[in-house]
Amino acid sequence: MGHWPKIKPSGDSAALIEFENRIDPEVNRTVRALALTMESDRFPGVQEVLPAYRTLMVTYDPLQVEYPVLVDQIQGCLDRAGRIDLPPRRVFRLPTVYGGIHGPDLERVSQILHLSPEEITGEFSRARFLVYFIGFICGLAYLGGLPEKLRVPRLTTPRTWVPGGSVGFAGGQANAIATDQPSGFNYIGRTFVILYDPRTFPPIPFVAGDEILFPSVSEEEALKARGRQAEDFL
Amino acid sequence: MRAFQVINPGVYTSLQDLGRPGSMKYGIPASGAADRFSARVANLLAGNPPEATVLETTLFRLELLALEDLVIAVTGGDLSPLVNKRPLPMWHGVLIKNGDRISFRGRKRGFRAYLAARGGFGGPQFLGSRSVFARGLMGNPLQAGEILEAEKSGVQNPFLAPLPAEFIPDFSHRPPLRVILGPQQDRFSPRGVETFLSAEYTVSPQSDRMGYRLEGPKIEHTQGADIISEAIARGAVQVPGDGLPIIMLWDAQVSGGYTKIANVISADLDGLAQVMPGEKLRFSAVTLEEAHRALREERERLATVRTLIESLR
Repeated sequence: MGHWPKIKPSGDSAALIEFENRIDPEVNRTVRALALTMESDRFPGVQEVLPAYRTLMVTYDPLQVEYPVLVDQIQGCLDRAGRIDLPPRRVFRLPTVYGGIHGPDLERVSQILHLSPEEITGEFSRARFLVYFIGFICGLAYLGGLPEKLRVPRLTTPRTWVPGGSVGFAGGQANAIATDQPSGFNYIGRTFVILYDPRTFPPIPFVAGDEILFPSVSEEEALKARGRQAEDFL
Repeated sequence: MRAFQVINPGVYTSLQDLGRPGSMKYGIPASGAADRFSARVANLLAGNPPEATVLETTLFRLELLALEDLVIAVTGGDLSPLVNKRPLPMWHGVLIKNGDRISFRGRKRGFRAYLAARGGFGGPQFLGSRSVFARGLMGNPLQAGEILEAEKSGVQNPFLAPLPAEFIPDFSHRPPLRVILGPQQDRFSPRGVETFLSAEYTVSPQSDRMGYRLEGPKIEHTQGADIISEAIARGAVQVPGDGLPIIMLWDAQVSGGYTKIANVISADLDGLAQVMPGEKLRFSAVTLEEAHRALREERERLATVRTLIESLR
């Protein structure tokens, strides 16, 4: 199936660079290395560099840089990206309360998986989740590293409202949503650490390549983190 | 300076500037005025830099009470603007008096109108922009009783002339929306691509600043509608499993996992902002070079308008 990477237009003001078509830490590492190389080179006309699981989108002003010139620049960066050092991985440990009103799907997921709620929260709270990239809406961190045992589908009917800080999983992916919003994920716990604040810069604490853990704590302990910055839990 | 009191906020009215480009990597859409040409020209006519904050109002019913003598300009779709029940000329700098009432009585053409006031509207900035994006906790749409502030007081050198008609967009004429195919057009059958480029689609009532959902013939995939999630460019046409396209617009999520058959070209996004739910759309494929030429022409048109207004002021 073809050979990677591939560069193609994504509309008239963005180029999409595609790597191997799978969710994999090594593939994502290549994406991040290219992103960092592009960002540090600051080519005229390049506006945003947007990493995802296995693609990088580069938005540009076509009146400042022509597409073929941009592709040459990306090629040059690809050649150098293999030699770049990525910043050291930061590890966040966000105190999380599991079950009860904070984890409305824990009992149901427990029945689907034939695992006790304690086994599920134990597996989840020991997992080390890799931040593949930031996206969706309000700085959602796309997390990899969900234990194989915890594979369940999304809800058939998404909830119209899930409180910010809810921690859960579905379809082999995990997330902690940053603000109140609709979602079809199964939520088993909640952290009260600030995950998004548009009045600060940067508005979100995580970058691609960080690692997040959700250690299990009492409700009282979890609530002590309310209003605190994620950087306090590095 | 207190500029207006909101008597009726209308169907949906929000403060918008040119948005927050550069914030997508934080998972935040760029937002900003949907019809950027109209927003920029409203500002120029009111004596502002083109990027000042304006009101973007939809359909009808917005009503404002002036709390000061003001220079304003209304552009964009024709929503029948009135000043004290008399027609307010559009695409025209206008001097209004403390106590005047500005209202929008009903849509004739287009979908969104822009109101600029000399000085530009104030309000909290988030990530360098006043564009309202309520879902991201960045401001709220207008509320009844709210007071709108303008940045500076005083009225000097008003440009109280109309913009020449040749520069006013014609929103009743609607050529097909031009698109660049891809980046996943290979995930659709030849018949699917053919359907997309030949069929007529109706803009669904479930459309907003995030996106336009379209109703019409289903577009056929070859191997399902899901991809591994990736960044979404403005104007992307994503086609989920039901085969019905959604155009991702100003307040859209910045990443997603559905196949994208095409992307509306940048020069056609302003016109798309003036298409109302219930109206019909068609698509036609162009090359990257044609898209870039169209964008250059659009920028030149804006530069000409700017020079014209500034030379007459």
